[in-house]
Parts: sequence; structure tokens; C-alpha cells
Amino acid sequence: MAAFLRTISSSLRTGLVGKTIQPSTTLSAARFSTKAEEPAGETRPTVRKPDEVARSHLTDFGRYVAECLPKYVQKVQLTSGDELEVLIAPDGVVPVLQFLKDHHNSQFANLVDIAGLDIPSRENRFEVVYNLLSLRYNSRIRVKTYTDELTPLDSAYGVFKAADWYEREIWDMYGVFFANHPDLRRILTDYGFEGHPQRRDFPLSGYVELRYDDEKKRVVCEPLELAQEFRKFDLSAPWEQFPNFRNANPPSETIETKK
Amino acid sequence: MAGREAARKVVHQVRPLLSVDKDEARKRVINLYKTWYRQIPYVVMDYDIPMSVEQCRDKLREEFLKNKDVSDIRVIDMLVVKGQMELKETVEIWKQKGHIMRYWKESQDPKPTDFLSKFFNGQN
Amino acid sequence: MIRAPLTKALSLGSSTSPIHKIAAAAFRTTAVTAQIPAKAPEKIEVFVDDIPVHVEPGTTILQAAAVAGVEIPRFCYHERLAVAGNCRMCLVEIEKSPKLAAACAMPVMKGWRIKTNSEKTRQAREGVMEFLLMNHPLDCPICDQGGECDLQDQAMAFGSDRSRFTDINHSGKRAVEDKDIGPLVKTIMTRCIHCTRCIRFASEIAGVDDLGTTGRGNDMQIGTYVEKLFLSEMSGNVIDLCPVGALTNKPFSFAARPWETRKISSIDVLDAVGSNIIVSTRTNEVLRILPRENEEINEEWLADKSRFACDGLKRQRLVAPMVRIKGELTPVEWEGALIEVGQKVRAANGAVAGVAGSLADVESMVALKDLLNRVGSEAVCTEQSFPSEGSGADLRSNYLFNRNIQSLETADVALLIGTNPRYEAPLINTRLRKAYVHNELEVASIGPKIDLSYRHNNLGDDSNLITQICNGTHPFAAKLKEAKNPAIIVGSDLLARPDGAGILANLQNFAKGFKSTSALNVLQRNASQAGALDIGYQAGVEEAIKSKPKVLFLLNADEAKVTRDQLPKDCYIVYVGHHGDEGAQIADAVLPGVAYTEKTATYVNTEGRAQQTLAAVSPPGLARDDWKIFRAISEIVGAPLPYDSLEEIRDRLDDIAPHLIRHGHLEANSFQTVAPQLSAAPSISSGKVSVQQLSLKDYFMTDPISRASPTMAKCIQAAKKEGEKKAASASC
Repeated sequence: MAAFLRTISSSLRTGLVGKTIQPSTTLSAARFSTKAEEPAGETRPTVRKPDEVARSHLTDFGRYVAECLPKYVQKVQLTSGDELEVLIAPDGVVPVLQFLKDHHNSQFANLVDIAGLDIPSRENRFEVVYNLLSLRYNSRIRVKTYTDELTPLDSAYGVFKAADWYEREIWDMYGVFFANHPDLRRILTDYGFEGHPQRRDFPLSGYVELRYDDEKKRVVCEPLELAQEFRKFDLSAPWEQFPNFRNANPPSETIETKK
Repeated sequence: MAGREAARKVVHQVRPLLSVDKDEARKRVINLYKTWYRQIPYVVMDYDIPMSVEQCRDKLREEFLKNKDVSDIRVIDMLVVKGQMELKETVEIWKQKGHIMRYWKESQDPKPTDFLSKFFNGQN
Repeated sequence: MIRAPLTKALSLGSSTSPIHKIAAAAFRTTAVTAQIPAKAPEKIEVFVDDIPVHVEPGTTILQAAAVAGVEIPRFCYHERLAVAGNCRMCLVEIEKSPKLAAACAMPVMKGWRIKTNSEKTRQAREGVMEFLLMNHPLDCPICDQGGECDLQDQAMAFGSDRSRFTDINHSGKRAVEDKDIGPLVKTIMTRCIHCTRCIRFASEIAGVDDLGTTGRGNDMQIGTYVEKLFLSEMSGNVIDLCPVGALTNKPFSFAARPWETRKISSIDVLDAVGSNIIVSTRTNEVLRILPRENEEINEEWLADKSRFACDGLKRQRLVAPMVRIKGELTPVEWEGALIEVGQKVRAANGAVAGVAGSLADVESMVALKDLLNRVGSEAVCTEQSFPSEGSGADLRSNYLFNRNIQSLETADVALLIGTNPRYEAPLINTRLRKAYVHNELEVASIGPKIDLSYRHNNLGDDSNLITQICNGTHPFAAKLKEAKNPAIIVGSDLLARPDGAGILANLQNFAKGFKSTSALNVLQRNASQAGALDIGYQAGVEEAIKSKPKVLFLLNADEAKVTRDQLPKDCYIVYVGHHGDEGAQIADAVLPGVAYTEKTATYVNTEGRAQQTLAAVSPPGLARDDWKIFRAISEIVGAPLPYDSLEEIRDRLDDIAPHLIRHGHLEANSFQTVAPQLSAAPSISSGKVSVQQLSLKDYFMTDPISRASPTMAKCIQAAKKEGEKKAASASC
């Protein structure tokens, strides 16, 4: 799909620059016309509407990925209208990322970020999210997988060197173990810190507090006693605050794939 | 790798962290214990902590015995992994004196339990 | 402010109380005839945003929409006030109707299709918002209503997101002079959007026609016509009612933002009504108190003392245990104070007594009683006395407000004897006024001439009138007997007289012949009294004095009913309480307890309903929960009480009287018919029937908390000044 996009955009560019619209490329013509149809002085606040063409390309590409990797891809979906997500089995991290990185028509060579998510009610409480960017096709994709506290995930270090610190961060914040990681250790928390702070069951205030002890001439660690009141804001209002967003893009739409 | 594949078949549902059976996990724990044990004299020396080697070894034993009832191999492995990381932080002197002394919790007073002392303390 | 318009409209719309139905059907007239329809009329079907709902005829569009779960924005409409229909915010489109309709005032018709979210409706809302905001100052950042402002919220939700307001002539927005309407309510009248909620509240609920409008159109103003204070015991409620920041809480001004405060549901204890409140706190400080909705007690109103006396919680507090050393009270450690008290108790050898005052909670009273019983004494009593002859306090119905507060609305004849409910229990008075307005309640009173905020017949203040009524010779007696729902309300101060037993017995015998049971009600003035009598305290301090105690415990007893010279010379007085008031002054040892916002404790209101306060802030200084103080003393004395935690003492309450731990639940009183048979020889001595709180200035300071409150002091000053002004204008 990204390839498609590229041809479209390039043709568009040439079309605009050269003031000639290629009648043969129907897609680009269609895209151009949708642009032209938009009312000029629209001033009402609107939720950004995703581009239908981009959506269809993303949908196609999502299907293609699902067809290529039927063993690992469990679901493909579009979130917020035009963000492609591929939900995969935990075993498939390395092959799927490898595929997305190396496939000629995707070339997601850039690992932007790895994010974690904790939903304690689920059997596999953690979600690990890989955000990929294809500079070649100016396109992004999100790969999601899941695990629990004890099941290790394969490290993506072999595919993306960038994964090194990101995975350390996930390990530190959530306690997800990455197998075959070259140097898995804490990255954000202090030495001797116990627990994984981004877990839902970790209290916002933590368990311990540190202070400098004048007698001992060093920092000591004690169970938490909040001297200052914990700031909590009550932001509820009886009226619906943003009815303009009532018609916002659906959070996610599943893309049907052949199974 | 082949051994691991075989192990996966045996365990079936779960993917092992490091060890495939109890013996292996036990070996890892004992290995870790031994390494810590051997490092303690250097730790005492490097960090210049006001504790003797014996006291440190008692503490080591105590910390290990805290988890003596853990039977899940994967939980044991996870503890071993964290213990190794801690060992490395200690040995490389990434930690500071205060981090080491945290094991003894010396600045914490025990909380009163009977009504009167709780009353005087102002606890509920 | 409690802000849940949808649920509120729902609960009131479908309320089973006939008052509401009538009120909803004909809200505009003030005195509604009781036209209860013979049979339930057929429900009609309407469609709100294509959701079909069945509602009773006469339901307004707004209520029908609430049934369908659709919320219509509004400013002037309020469930408990008459419909005004002047803000136009609730305009909705009705299919096939050429014009939009104001949803709050328009009753639905069969088959109507109401569109609450159509283009036309939304445009109308935007238009209304634009007009309102055109003359509304842009001072939200310094406005105290910010964060709980209906105008702010609805501008976000329904207004346009860009402004067409350009001040071409640089003439500025409309500005209105601020009014001084008293020490409680701050006015910034430029912010007013003329919803007239405050006016309607004052004239309908509070019964004070002080507020009104002058001028028309752009010159319209809300005010008091001539410069005067809006002095009512209910004035604080207009703050909650005001949808914008025109009327705000003066003591709370610029103190905090509503979203950063913590809200803890609790109970008010400054009168015996037990109003439900929300305590707003921040950084361990009570900032303000708001009413919490409870249909059965306070609806959504709150009396001014309960609302504004909270600044008294920060003043004159006892923060450390003190022991009298060489005639001076000296702060000491808890340990020392407890050992001192413990030694005295042990040395007293059973000659120990206890007196509980008006703010004592049930838990601490139980702990005090258990402590005294363990050291061999039975002398525990309350400051407020109550006749002990006959069945006395043995039967609950003798000392409770037997007819519950809510059902006062249905009363048709009421007699007030020796009480001024307007100041003793303002929220009971609003119920009486509600019945007066909607149910043609006829009220008569025996006692001094008082202003009850509704018309009533003062029969005089002679005690013989009670005798006359009871033996049926007075013309009003017949009215009571014929009434369907009569109510007699007796002030607890009247029963504290020496002939109180006679009055009570006579009235009980008289009330036997009524058409409804539980017509006789005793209106307590203290939050502690009903609970104390429930757990077996003796009423009146005589018992404690008579026992010649060597150690006397005063638990929140600040009415100075016990004085030094009534007690033996060597009597050691221990005061347990939270304010340095009368009780602490005469004490030899002062043990700091906590106030009602700092403890989780049970109180029984005058109806006999147990409710609990919740700890909103932690106690100041070294203060400790009152019951824990007694528990600690018991351990020092060597007879430890068998409870260490709140749960355990609640179990003990359960053993004594199970209703004490059923919070919010009202237990039915039996034995009302038996009571007269057990009562003593009836005799009423002659004399005058008096009332302690005659006018507004007597209302504000009645207990240690309100006596310590600077706001209440200001209120008294204002009330006195206003009274003088009135007297001066009357004389010239």
C-alpha cells in the first residue's frame, strides 16, 4: 500500500507542478477531486476526517500482512480512523518485525518506540506496542503483542538495534522479561528500587520514601509517610463537555482477514 | 536449542524463562547464592559499610530464605534474574553505600501494636 | 454544590410523594389546593430523540427527557422551585411545531416528537449562550464559581467556540453595582444572568420576600429594592442555587477551587436534624460545608449555622492534654495526663460521674458509660434534661420526633408548643412551610410571639393553654382531633421544666384520640440527646450532682449546667472535648477530643435515625478520638474496655441497640399507645411558655463550634444591626 501511496503522491505532485492531470491515474484524479469538493470556508470545529483513499490502502496492506504471516497475525485493525495496527501472537515478534522491516513494499526500517500497557483484568495483562516508521513510504504501523508477568518475549534487538533501551524501559517499568536481550537491566529507576512502577497495582505514590539522614551521612529509605496531602482532582461535571466529539472516529475498526 | 524445543513440548502451556525443570532452577539459585557469598568480602571492603562479613552473609541468607516457599520454576527464575542484576549493580559499584545499607532497614522503628502505645503515637 | 441534574430531575419526576405530583402539575400558584386525582390518569407516549417514553399527563418536556435519559441544558429551572421559564436555555424543537418550546415549562402532549439535538435546537442554544455571555464578564479566572459554574460548563458543551462580540463603541459590557446582602453571601451582580432562582428560593422556601427584580430588559437587576440584608437562617442555599458566580460563599471566597478539594459525605451535628452534608477539605483543613441530598431529612438545603460555622473548627481548639498545676492548666504529654486522671479515678473508688453535652457522639458516650460502669458507677447523664417520671426515657417514642420529617409535608394541622422550629431546626421548619404552601397546613403555637416565615395562629404563652387543649376546652383542640394528619411539636426545653413530665403525659393522653398515630413529636435541640437516651443515659445533670462524685467526666459538656459550687470541694473534673469553652474552663484535666469533621462517629437525630459522620480531616495537634481517650483511661485504671477499633466498638453498639449501626435507616417506634398508661400523674404548673431562640440573632451561636466561629459573630452583629434599623424605622 505504501508503494501505492508513493505513486499517488508523486503523480499528484507532478500533476500539480506540471499543471497537467494524468487522466489515466484514476486514483489520483479521485483524490484530487475529493480535495476540491471540500467547502472552502469550513469554520465549524470538526474532528479530523481520515482520508478514505489512505484508509483503503492501509486496509489493503493490513490484509496483505495478515495473509503473509497467518501464523502470527491474529487481528488487523484501524484505530482512530487511519492508524493501522497489527495484533500478533507473542511468538511472532521477531518474524513479524523482520518482515515489516525487510519487505520491499513496506520497509519499516525505523523503530520509533516501544510502549507498554497494563490491563490487570486480562489473563495476559501486559500489552507491548511497537511503533514502526517507514521513511521510504512515509507511513507508520503499530504492532501489538501481549504477555504476562512471567512469560518472556523475544527481544527485538536482533531486528532493530534501537530496541535495546526501549526494551530495558519496558522491563524496568512493567517487568516484562525479554529473552535474548544483550543487556537487560534497569534504566530509569534507582538501584535497589523494588517493583515496576508502571504496573496498575503499583501505587502512584510508591511504597518508600528517601531522605538524607544527617546522622548517618547518607540517604536512607523508609516506608512511605505522606507529609503532604496527595493531590487529587475531581474534574467531573454534570454536563457533557465535548458533544462536538460525539461523532468522533471510532476507536478501532477490525479489518476482516481471510483465515 | 534442540533441548529447549524438547522442553517446550514437555511444559506445553508456558514458555520457560530460563530453567526447564526444578533441578536446573535450583542449580541457578545455588549458583547465585555462591557468587553473592564470594563477593561479600569485596563488597564490604569496596563500599566501606559498617557491617562485618558475617552480618552480610546472615543478611544474604535471610534475603534468600524470604523466598524459600516459592515453588514455581518461572518465579524462581525471575527472582534469580533480578538477583543477578542486583549482584551486577553491586559488583560494578553502580550502587552507593546507602543502597547497600537499605537491606538492613536500620532507620525504621517497629510499629506499635497494642492499643495504648498506638494511642500515644496517634495511630489508628 | 451537588450537581447531578439528570438523576435529580428523574428522582423528583417519578417521585411517589403526592406533594411532588401536585407541585409539578401546578407550580405557578403558591397556594395549591389539594386536588389529588381520583384515579391515576392514563400515561401518554412521547418520543424524545426517537426514544419512546410513557409519562403522566402534565409532565414537562424536560422531565420526560430526563426519563428518556436525555439531558436538556437549563439555567433557571430547578426541581424544587416554581418554573420561571426565563432563561430560554432549554428550548427544544418539537416536530411539526413552528416554534421552539421551553422544555421546563411546556407540558408534553400525546405523540410529540421532541428533538433535543437537532440543528435548530443546537442553534437556539448557541444563540441563548451568546446573548448570556454578551453581558457576562470574562472573569472566570478570578470567579469563585469557576469549576462548578453551570454557565461555564454549558458554554463548553452547548455554546459556540468563537465569539462575535466586538465592542465597537468601546462602551464595555453591562455592569451592575454589587449589593451588600449580609456577611454570608457575596454578590457580584455583574455576573448575574437573571435566572431568578434566588428570588424564588427566598419567597417559596425561605419565606422571606426580600429579593426581587427591578428594571426591565438590559436594566434588570436582582436586589433587595431598598438596601437591606438578606437575613434568613436559610440564606446560604442561594449560593448553591446560583448557576453562575453572582452569589458566592463569602467566607469561602478566593479560598480554593472546587476540583482540588476533597469531598467527604458526613452529617451535621449543630442541630438535632442530622442534615446530610459534604465536607470540602484541602490540605487537612475544612474549607466549606455543602448540603448533600437526602429526601428524608434535608432535601437539598442546609441551614446557615451548619454551613458557615465550620470556621469555628479552627479556632479555640484544644490541641494538647492539659492538667491543672498550681491553679493553671498546663500542657502535658498524653501519658502524664492519662496517668493523672487514672489515679484520680482509681482513688475515687466508684464515686465517678459523667455528663455528656450536645456534640457528643454515640461511640464516645458508650465508651464513657462502659468505663464508669467498670469502675462501679452508674451516674452518666446528659446536660439536657428530660422528664424521668412515668416511662420517661424508657420508651423511645417519648423523646423522639415520631412523625418523620418527610411526612410533615402531608400534615394538615400542627401545634407548636414551646418551640421555635425556625431556629431550633430550620429544616423542619421548611418542611412545615412546604406543607403550609402546598397542603394548606394550619399552624398554631403556644409560646412567645415568633416569626415562623409562614402565617400561624399564636394562642398565647400561658402554660394553662396546654391544659386547656389537652382537656379539649380550647377551640383548637377540636381542630386537632378532626384533622387527618395532625402534628404536635413540643420543644425539648419545655419538657426540661420541672413539670415536663406532666406536660408530656397530658399531651400523650390527648394525642391518643387522634386520627393518626405518631402525632406527638418532641423536637430535640442537641445532636447527642436522642443517642444518649437510646443507650441509657439519664437526662439532666441532677443525677450526677446528687451522686457527689470525686471525679466528674465532662464529655463535650459546655452549657455550664454543672458548676463548681454544685460539686464536692475535692471533685476532680476531667473535660473531654474539642473546644476551650465553658467545660474546659472549670476542668482540672483537659483531654483534647475531636470535632465532628474529624471523626467517624454515630449520631442519632431527633427522628431516631442513626447516621454517621466520616472523618474528613485529621485531628489537630495531639487530639484523639473521644472514645479512644476513654478506652485508654480504662487501661490505665486497670479495667480495659473490650474494644480497640472502630469496628469493635460498633459491635458493642450493636449489642446495646442494633439501630445505632443501621445508618440512615429509620426504625419504627412502637409503644406509642402504651406510653400514656405508664405516664405519671399529670399536672401542669402555671407560668409562661418560653422559647430560647426568639429571633435570628439568637440562632447563630448555640454550641462551642458556632461560638468559636468568627463568621457566626459577624452574622449576629448584622442581625442586631438590621433589627435596630427596623425598630428605628418603625418608631419614626
